[in-house]
Amino acid sequence: MQTILAIVGIFALTVVFVGGLRAAGWSDFTGPATAPQQRPVLGGGDPETHAWQRFHVRYYTMMLLFVAFEMEMMFMYPWAVVFVAEGGKALAEMGMFLAILSVGILYGWREGVFRWE
Amino acid sequence: MTWLNHLAARAHVPVFVAFGDDAPAEAWTLSRLPGVLIVDTPRAASVLLVAGTIPEALIPYLHRLHDQLPHPRATVLWQSRPTQSIPNAVAVTGGNEIGLVVVNTFADLLAGDRVSEPDVLPNKPPAEWRGVGPHGQGGKGMMGGTPYGRPMAMTDDDIRDGLALDSYTAEFGPFLPFFPPGLVLKLTLQGDVIQKVKATHPPFGSGRPLLAAMLRLMGLPALAVRSLNGGANRRVLQRLIRLSGARFAIPPGLGRMPDGSDVRARFDRMTRTSTDATLQNPSDMALGHVLIGLEWHAAMLVLSSIDAASLQTLCKNSDNDDASSATDGRDPSGHDMHTGHMS
Repeated sequence: MQTILAIVGIFALTVVFVGGLRAAGWSDFTGPATAPQQRPVLGGGDPETHAWQRFHVRYYTMMLLFVAFEMEMMFMYPWAVVFVAEGGKALAEMGMFLAILSVGILYGWREGVFRWE
Repeated sequence: MTWLNHLAARAHVPVFVAFGDDAPAEAWTLSRLPGVLIVDTPRAASVLLVAGTIPEALIPYLHRLHDQLPHPRATVLWQSRPTQSIPNAVAVTGGNEIGLVVVNTFADLLAGDRVSEPDVLPNKPPAEWRGVGPHGQGGKGMMGGTPYGRPMAMTDDDIRDGLALDSYTAEFGPFLPFFPPGLVLKLTLQGDVIQKVKATHPPFGSGRPLLAAMLRLMGLPALAVRSLNGGANRRVLQRLIRLSGARFAIPPGLGRMPDGSDVRARFDRMTRTSTDATLQNPSDMALGHVLIGLEWHAAMLVLSSIDAASLQTLCKNSDNDDASSATDGRDPSGHDMHTGHMS
């Protein structure tokens, strides 16, 4: 019974809190944005094409490096504990994991990640 | 809730300044006034301050800008022609009382003594949604259809690395705070690289303080205001600019002009001497030669480093030879692609 009361109480508090926020945010001036207000700010200019567009995610090679180097370190710390218990088998597993990751590094190398531009 | 409104009215007034032709010189130093906060976007402003005359051709731009201010809003016309479209605007002529007028207008607005200005433009999309199918669906482009009158972006040639993705075409200016006042450019962008340039409206001839604009663009607003201090403590200013490292934030070789100067050299000219920042007039260059292939931040640096007269010449040349600057722009002569490429 007490649990249900607590749940109802929390729910009521949530409603009051959200309602209060909503009421506080409401003033004479707020309302739905009109069509002229929805235009992008271009200093008075107007766009010709829709803003929904594809562009090149140029930092993707950086993300690749991050995954290759940072993620492998993340797995290597707990692995060190397992290695103490398991020995050679764990070493072989980690070797396979690193081999797969290094393919990514080699690919990044080919794409020129390590060249400073 | 009047006490709350009065309390709110004592806050700094967020003002967006729309610079017109022959804007009063004090308009550049407004941030020094007590109780006034100059903001960089109309979305953050309560008062639209129109400084100087807005030519007839730019009135539609002013209307779009005006409607982007959130309510409650007011317009102050400072040495500017009154327009019928904004009938409630406050008109000011002198330079001394402008701060007071702005603060009072804002107080009246919040106290309810002054009605927030309604939109100038009608509350409907710039163009209707069009499509091929009966429900507006289908068509060319990424997803098809023409949402709100604007076609979806289509793939276009890319200058930087040939990976042709969607290009974005829009008119920028004339009231962008980091643009020379009055300049309207129709730019086609791939990501942040400028692919095509067309000058729709040339910048105003009236003197924009170049050094201040440049420093403000580089995120040094306090130095920008100091540089407008009428030549007082020029030494100190020079030392502060040197210590800020602003010069080294400008990539060398960027935006080379016929007289051989790049943005860095022009910045040096601005900082060393107070008035002699003039540039040899680029008689045979168009805007495309200067801007195409640059990333946005580099292009803004280049635009800020060129004085109004030279920019006007560049715009005029761009009108004359569209072929070299606007149409293909794949390899504009005299412009080294890699000067702006810093990804």
